[in-house]
Amino acid sequence: MKRGKIGLALLELFMIVSALVFLYPMFLVLINSFKTFGEVMRNVVALPEKLTLENYIYVWKFIDYPQLFLNNVIITVVGVAGIIALSSLAAYKLSRTGSRLSNILYLVCILPMLVPFQSIMITVLKLAKDMGLSDSTWGLGVIYWGFGVPLAVFIYHGFVKGIPRELDESAMIDGASSFRTFGTIILPLLKPVTTTVIIIDVMWIWNDFLLPLLMVNSSQSTKTLTLAAYTFVGQYNTDWQYAMTAMVMAVLPSIIVFMLLQKHIVKGVVAGAVKG
Amino acid sequence: MFSMGRKSRSGWEFSLFVIPAVIGVLFAFYIPFVMSMAYSLTEWNGINSNPDFIGFDNFRALLQDRNFLNASLFTLKYSILYIILVNVLAVLIALALDRPLKTRTALRAAFFVPYILSLVIVGFIWRFIFMQGFESLYEQTGWGIFQWSWLGENTLAFISVLLVSIWQSVGFYIVIYIAGLQSVPADVMEAAVVDGAGLVRRFFSVTLPLLAPSVTIAVFMALTNSIKIFDVILSLTAGGPGGSTVSVSYDIYRDTFQNNMYGYGTAKALVLFFAVMIITVVQLAYFKRREVES
Repeated sequence: MKRGKIGLALLELFMIVSALVFLYPMFLVLINSFKTFGEVMRNVVALPEKLTLENYIYVWKFIDYPQLFLNNVIITVVGVAGIIALSSLAAYKLSRTGSRLSNILYLVCILPMLVPFQSIMITVLKLAKDMGLSDSTWGLGVIYWGFGVPLAVFIYHGFVKGIPRELDESAMIDGASSFRTFGTIILPLLKPVTTTVIIIDVMWIWNDFLLPLLMVNSSQSTKTLTLAAYTFVGQYNTDWQYAMTAMVMAVLPSIIVFMLLQKHIVKGVVAGAVKG
Repeated sequence: MFSMGRKSRSGWEFSLFVIPAVIGVLFAFYIPFVMSMAYSLTEWNGINSNPDFIGFDNFRALLQDRNFLNASLFTLKYSILYIILVNVLAVLIALALDRPLKTRTALRAAFFVPYILSLVIVGFIWRFIFMQGFESLYEQTGWGIFQWSWLGENTLAFISVLLVSIWQSVGFYIVIYIAGLQSVPADVMEAAVVDGAGLVRRFFSVTLPLLAPSVTIAVFMALTNSIKIFDVILSLTAGGPGGSTVSVSYDIYRDTFQNNMYGYGTAKALVLFFAVMIITVVQLAYFKRREVES
């Protein structure tokens, strides 16, 4: 028994050291974002000589951080709200209807899950341009709808099957319309899956790079946080202190949200993967 | 009860619920796919509204394209190693974090953190570490490993890309395996201990078979993610040195948007599409059969 305890303590120690080494690169980025150029060049590993926000003030102004943040929020909110609306409605009806047409449409909706975005990105861009959706944050949000539907429909569809039909049938008999039934009875019951879908899609859209690069990179006013960090680091290739600052500023929102909602996020990601 | 009126009303309702989502996927996938088929037969610079029809010339050129061949080999090699390494590592860490450690919640979070970061940023973080960080670490420790040219030499650059991708995503696979381990019944484990099975034996004869569904999911996710690798390469190595870390996605991106060969890029993208479809279907079929057998 005693041997087991010592073994466990050793394992714990080993895992803690591993985790610290694992996170060390992020720590290095953080400390170097407070340094001057000379300090970074002299020694990356050393702590900054004094804590100043000079780098942050410079980068904040240079990349117009509030605008970028707003862009990210618009794209993510428009995208996720649309995905949830389209997918929950469709998945509910498809799951409740047993016809051949319904089965075919279900397949049509979920099959694209297997398609890598890169294999169709060129014509997606062409189509988006033709439809006037490119070069706009709102437009990009709308573009995400179609890309988010397959996984969301798949996750919702599985969950709706577990909701007893009697619930909607009795509401119908009471004279509620189909939309009323969905809104007042089904949608509240879908809350746990909706949370899962929101978590997965927010993480995806907030951090996405290639689609924004193709769609909204042409103007400073429509860029996302990640895009701006990418351009900025490209320009300030050797000014590492500014590059580090831009990176910290780009990832900080995600890290704060993760610390606040850690449990939900991990659970949501697992649920999404296990069902997806 | 089922008069015509009722039926057409429910048909209406069905459409209202379902059509918006179907339109969404039509515009996101099916229409671009059909367009790709058409554009892959053309020479097109992306601006010209009338691409020249050239038949199968793009596909013929593709067969002789060394860049595309190298990119395919890179992607294949990378995907295989990534799938194996990330899964082995995740299972090992998950096994450790499944034990009653005092700090297990914090440890799980620690390994998960990089997964919430954007891949492009992760590439930059590590470029800084490899270029500047390692230099300082070498001065401090004198360890030769920090002096190696991690981004400047072909094999090392390949390992760097692999390492960084694993670093970013291993937390995701860990939580999948932890969830899987929690569904391994304790009494089965106890029975194995009573029967005198050692640690390794217990893992291979009890834990691993019961983890099979998690393995299926994790391998599937690892496959779909690794085959598309793009962001990390763009910010970490930009395909270098000497094009040795160019993936298929990166090659398509370069030819299309930097060399303005839209028609040719579309043809390459279609090849990627069919390759991924075949690999995915084969893999799903294989794991389905294995799971039924066990």
